[in-house]
Amino acid sequence: MKAASMVPVFLVGFLLVFAATDFPEWGNPQSPASDSPVSSHFIGKTGVDTEVPNMVTAVLADYRGFDTMFETVVVFIAGMAVLAILKNSVKKGSVRRDHEVDAEPDLIVTNMVRLIVPVIQIFAFYVLAHGHVSPGGGFQGGVIMGASFILIALSWDLETALARFSLNRCMGVAAAGILIYAGIGIFSMFLGGEFLDYAELERVLPVSREMARYHAMLGVEIGVGCTVTAIMFALYANLSSEGKLEGGL
Amino acid sequence: MMENAIAWIFIFPLFGSVFCALLGMANRKVCYPISVLSMVGAFWAGVETLMQAVGSSSHEVSYIFGGWTLDSYPRGVGIEFRADLLGALITLVVLGVGLLVSIYSKLPTEEETPGKEPLFHSLFLLQITGLAGICLTGDAFNLYVLIEVAALTGYGLIAIGSNRAAAATFNYVILGTIGASLYLLGVGYVYITTGTLNMVGIHDAIMAPESKLAASASMQVAFVLICLGILIKMAFFPFHAWLPNAYCHAPTTTSCLLAPLVTKVMIYVMIRIVLTAFGVDFSFESTLWAKVLPWLVVVAIVSAAVMALAQREIKRMLAYLIVAEVGYMVGGVWVYNYYGMIGSIFHIISDACMTLCLFLGAGLILRKCKTTNFDGLRGLFSKMPLTMTGFFIGGFSIIGLPPTCGFFSKWYLITGAMVSERWEYLLALLFSTMVMVVLFFRMIERIHLAVSESGENLGKGHGDLGLTDEQTRFSEGPLTMLVPLLLAAGVVLVIGIYNQDVVNQIEIFLDNLPHDADLPKEAVGK
Repeated sequence: MKAASMVPVFLVGFLLVFAATDFPEWGNPQSPASDSPVSSHFIGKTGVDTEVPNMVTAVLADYRGFDTMFETVVVFIAGMAVLAILKNSVKKGSVRRDHEVDAEPDLIVTNMVRLIVPVIQIFAFYVLAHGHVSPGGGFQGGVIMGASFILIALSWDLETALARFSLNRCMGVAAAGILIYAGIGIFSMFLGGEFLDYAELERVLPVSREMARYHAMLGVEIGVGCTVTAIMFALYANLSSEGKLEGGL
Repeated sequence: MMENAIAWIFIFPLFGSVFCALLGMANRKVCYPISVLSMVGAFWAGVETLMQAVGSSSHEVSYIFGGWTLDSYPRGVGIEFRADLLGALITLVVLGVGLLVSIYSKLPTEEETPGKEPLFHSLFLLQITGLAGICLTGDAFNLYVLIEVAALTGYGLIAIGSNRAAAATFNYVILGTIGASLYLLGVGYVYITTGTLNMVGIHDAIMAPESKLAASASMQVAFVLICLGILIKMAFFPFHAWLPNAYCHAPTTTSCLLAPLVTKVMIYVMIRIVLTAFGVDFSFESTLWAKVLPWLVVVAIVSAAVMALAQREIKRMLAYLIVAEVGYMVGGVWVYNYYGMIGSIFHIISDACMTLCLFLGAGLILRKCKTTNFDGLRGLFSKMPLTMTGFFIGGFSIIGLPPTCGFFSKWYLITGAMVSERWEYLLALLFSTMVMVVLFFRMIERIHLAVSESGENLGKGHGDLGLTDEQTRFSEGPLTMLVPLLLAAGVVLVIGIYNQDVVNQIEIFLDNLPHDADLPKEAVGK
């Protein structure tokens, strides 16, 4: 059976290599993907359209913001699906995991974490807010923020972390993140544009159409950050304890 | 609000889902009304969009997110939703099925997944968001994102039931992920060679006068990868292994929603890729694929029909029937003519309605009898006549008896097979029709008679069938479940009676394909 399963693997591999033979030359600026009207517009006009220096963020959050909204929804769905499967599946304390030991949280580890968590969280805000001008944005900032809560759960135990960020609050924050993103979209629709047409926000913000896009992008990045933070931690809490939401590492 | 109707189609379920998750934590009673109301809103928006598409001179509604309009920016800068007549029709089917199932969902959800209603309704609405988005989007990558939304919610909705369902979902996750990855890989190849993700843009790049893309290896491999990915997602025969278990062990509401929609929407995606993105000439004439696939279709239909014959349980039998029906529709596309394509598109619509009937009926039977084994059906007609009537209207439509809609769509498929002289496909269609006749008349015999499997008559005389009081008690299901079933059965009949109106719209769509690429109306040299 193992040998038989190699046949499709090699078949697909051969197809992929075969197709790659007539790709445009590597790094050629005249290749279709670099030279198409769409790419030229992104490269040449991003600053004119949106005032955002980082064109990756502009493509992600504005030109293709509709994709990014659904990517955020995918993250939200992942969290809900895990919750749906694991909720009530195991009774609390009924099954003891093999690797569980009774030990107090380690003094050195907990004190280091006490020092480092605030720094991580401030850095997360920096990455989130700085997405316009440097690598960063909602997904990256959210992951760093979520990691700070996971670190607390790792060094103490899940109860300590959940006392600070309970599972209900997690799902609330995650849903609020979607609400922020889609809310900005629908608000710009009510102001007369299409869904997610941030430029229309100039009517309520005291800035130009381009700067309205700039600020709205920060808004949607905050929404993404909320969802990612909450779901990161909710996934860890559920998966690491098989849905029991208790115990340490 | 009217000009944004196409956006409201996904805004209603998306916000409904978020509010289910938020408000459901405080009071889980609010989830059901939110779910039904947002489906009503989305259905209204779907009707409005179809009306706009029918009314406009170009027969389509184009909506570009973020204000990156075609007047001021190149095509493909923003993401486009294009509702042509095909997209708007299938979207309306998705929303209609979603509306009926959301009404139906009240009791099964409370009984089968107690305590998880907010999660269930939330995932349910996002599933509709994803499926409706797939039918509307005009962007190849956005299509991938929406396929992921629909797939992930599907995994959650199936696995929420029981541990067996979770095990079945695991197979689905693996195969679904492989399918999605192949699709994404294909889209990557397309982007490298054409430089755009917009489907119309891809078509323009292939059809450009000096373009050599139609003959290039990378484009052909991209096409094969995309088709392969979609075939896995639609449970085409050799890739169907995930479907029967997933649909059998899923909660009632989930199977009622997923069975009519997921496979059908994926066939729509294939038609969309063939007609809009790659174009008729490229899809049918430049690739070896178009020569191989019709034979795979024959194998698929025959083997799925034989496997359906071997089942002793309603839901599992229906699951194999779905696999056979997928074969019908794929075959209708690849016979490569006008009538086969009409048949395929019409069959998507009618198959969604009749599968809905059957699964809603099976849900009601399961609730009353606690089993869906064929043997548990004895004498059921006298106990729940309305339910069984609804169920068998769906069954007759799958067989293809007039005046149900299944008759007319199958008629076009058979016409398509004859025009292209694809006799092997015609024979496969007739064979599986015979199998369905056997399957459903075997069931009809059982629901009317109280005869046990071994043929022993359990009745000792007229009026005494040897059944317990509970089994003979006359009781239909609750109204929230019965009414959607009867409505679905009504729709099957109405679409059948007004089939010419549906076909007219499909013909207008096929006559207005981009680049004047027409499907042949006579046989093309094989």
